[in-house]
Amino acid sequence: MPYQKPIIYSTFDPNSCVCHFRSRFVEVCCPQHPEAHLIEDYRAGDQICSECGLVVGDRVIDVGSEWRTFSNEKANNDPSRVGGPENPLLNGSDLSTIIGPGAGGASFDGFGNSKYQNRRSMSSSDRALINAFREISNMADKINLPKTIVDRANLLFKQVHDGKNLKGRSNDAIASASLYIACRQEGVPRTFKEICAVSKISKKEIGRCFKLILKALETQVDLITTGDFMSRFCSNLGLPTFAQKAATHIARKAVDLDIVPGRSPISVAAAAIYMASQASDDKRTQKDIGDIAGVADVTIRQSYKLMYPHAKELFPDDFKFSTPIELLPPL
Amino acid sequence: MEVVCGGRFLSPSFSESTSGDNTRSIIDQSQMGEQEQVSAVMEDEKVIKEEDLEVDPEPVLDIIINNVVSSFSVACHLDLHHLALHGNNVELRKENGVLTMKLRKPPTTASIWSSGKITCTGSTSECQARLAGRRIARCVQKMGYNVKFRNFRIVNVLGTCSLPFAIKITPFSQKHRDAASYEPELHPGVTYRIEHPKATLKIFSTGSITVTAPSIANVQNAIEHIYPLVREFGKARSEEEMAEYRRNQARKQFPILNFEDVEEDLSSSEIEEYWEPM
Repeated sequence: MPYQKPIIYSTFDPNSCVCHFRSRFVEVCCPQHPEAHLIEDYRAGDQICSECGLVVGDRVIDVGSEWRTFSNEKANNDPSRVGGPENPLLNGSDLSTIIGPGAGGASFDGFGNSKYQNRRSMSSSDRALINAFREISNMADKINLPKTIVDRANLLFKQVHDGKNLKGRSNDAIASASLYIACRQEGVPRTFKEICAVSKISKKEIGRCFKLILKALETQVDLITTGDFMSRFCSNLGLPTFAQKAATHIARKAVDLDIVPGRSPISVAAAAIYMASQASDDKRTQKDIGDIAGVADVTIRQSYKLMYPHAKELFPDDFKFSTPIELLPPL
Repeated sequence: MEVVCGGRFLSPSFSESTSGDNTRSIIDQSQMGEQEQVSAVMEDEKVIKEEDLEVDPEPVLDIIINNVVSSFSVACHLDLHHLALHGNNVELRKENGVLTMKLRKPPTTASIWSSGKITCTGSTSECQARLAGRRIARCVQKMGYNVKFRNFRIVNVLGTCSLPFAIKITPFSQKHRDAASYEPELHPGVTYRIEHPKATLKIFSTGSITVTAPSIANVQNAIEHIYPLVREFGKARSEEEMAEYRRNQARKQFPILNFEDVEEDLSSSEIEEYWEPM
C-alpha cells in the first residue's frame, strides 16, 4: 500500500459559521522525502521519487504501445487495437472510432470488393494538415533531415494554417517554406535550391511564402553564413578534412575583410572551396562545385576573381600547399 | 539635410556637377518647364571624394525619379474592341481584358479597362503623370466617349539614389532586424520598409538605393530618414567598385536615344513646347 500523505482541507460554512476539517488521502509520496517531486514513468507505470529513486506508485496506466510493429511485417496483420499514437499538438484530438479493413469471407461481396467502405471522411478539418505533414515528411526524407526539424516544420505549418493569413497559397508551397524555416531555425540552413530539388514548387514561390510566413508569425531568422554549408558541400564533393577547414577559413576571412561585397554567401563558399581544392591535391573544377552548390560556374568565377588577389591573406597559416599560391589558376 | 530633385534634364549643368563643383545637382529625366521642384535646397560641401569618407555634414544627394504610376477613371464604360480597332498606338490583350495605349510625348503607357479605369505608368514626375493622364483621356474622348477626368491619384513613385559611399549591408541588416529584410539567396539588396513616410527602400551594397513610395515627397523623406542609418555602415569604395560605379553613371548620363549626335538631340528637346493640358 503506497504511503499516502494526508492533506487537510478546511471548509468554512458561512451559514453556520463552523469550520470543518477533513483529510483526504490522495497524494502519494516517498516516505523518506515527502516533499520530493515525483518523476512519472508512464511506460512502466511507476512514480519514482526524485531524491532516492524509490518507486512509490505503481500500476499507473501504461500509454506505451501494445505491440511492436516492425517495418518488414505485412501491413494487413496489425494486431494493435488502439491505433497509432495521438498527435495532440498538431491535430484536434480525433478520437472517433473507425471500422477497420475486413478480414474473413463475410466482409467481401461477390466481386471481391469489401462491403464496408466507409474508411474516408475522418477528420475533415485536419485533412489539409495531415496531407501537409505527409509532404513535409517526404521532402525531409529525401534530404535526410532529422525528426527534430520535421517536427518543427510541422509546428510552423500548423501555426500558419491556424493564422489563416496565407490561406490562398498552395499548401505545398507553405509546407516547403516551413521546412526551409525549420532548417534555418535549427541552425542548419538548407539553400532554397536544395529545398526546390525535393519540392515541386518554384524557388520564387517558396521565397514569397517564406517572407509571408515570417511576417505572419512575426519571427525573424538569422542570416546565413558561409560556414553553414561547408561541411555539406565538401563531403558531397569528397574533399578531405583539411581542405574543408581551409575552405571554411578562406570564406570567413573573405567575408570579414569584405572582399566580396554583395555576393551571396553560397557563391563565396563555393569560390572558397574551389580555391582550397585547387591548392590541395584533390582539385575540383568550377563546374563540379557549381553542380553541388547550386551556383552557376560563372558565379563562382566572379567571386573567385574578387578573392584571387587576396589569396595570401585568405589561406590559413598552417595550410600545406600542394600547389603554391602563385600557381593558382587566376580564372 | 536637404535634397533637391525634379528639375532640369541632363545636359551642361549635369556635367558640371559631376566635375565636382559646389553646385546643387538637380537631376530629372523630364523636360524643362516643370514646376515640380521639391522644396528644399541643399547647402553644399564638396562632393565627397571617393577614396576617403569625410564626415560630411550636408551632403548633396541626387534623387532621380524613374517612374510615377497613376490611376484615374473616365467615368464611363468603354468598348475596348472598338478602341483597339480605331485607336492609334493601342494593343488589346483579351486574356487580361486590358487595352494598352502608349503615348510618345510624354513617353508613357496606359492600361485601360472596360470599366473606364485607367492606370498610367512611365512618367517621371507628378505633373507629367497628370498631363499624360489627360492626354489619354483626350484620346479616348476623340473616339466618341463621354469622358470625364475623375479620381486622378498617384499610386506609386519609384525613385533611385546613389550614395557616394558603399554600404556594409550585412551588419546594417543585423542592426535593423525589425524593419530590414536581407535574403542574399533571393535578392542582393536589403529591403527596408518604413511606416511613417510610408516607403519601401531597397539598399544595395554598392550604395545605390531605390525607393518605392506613394508620393514624391515620401521618396524624399524616406531618403532623408535612411541616410543617417546607412551612413554609419558606409565604407569607401574599392577600385573595382569605383570602376563599376563610373561605368553605370556613364551609361545613365547618356542613354542612347538614337544613333545620332546625343547633344543635338538634347538641345532640340530644349526648344520643344508643351501642349498645355485642358
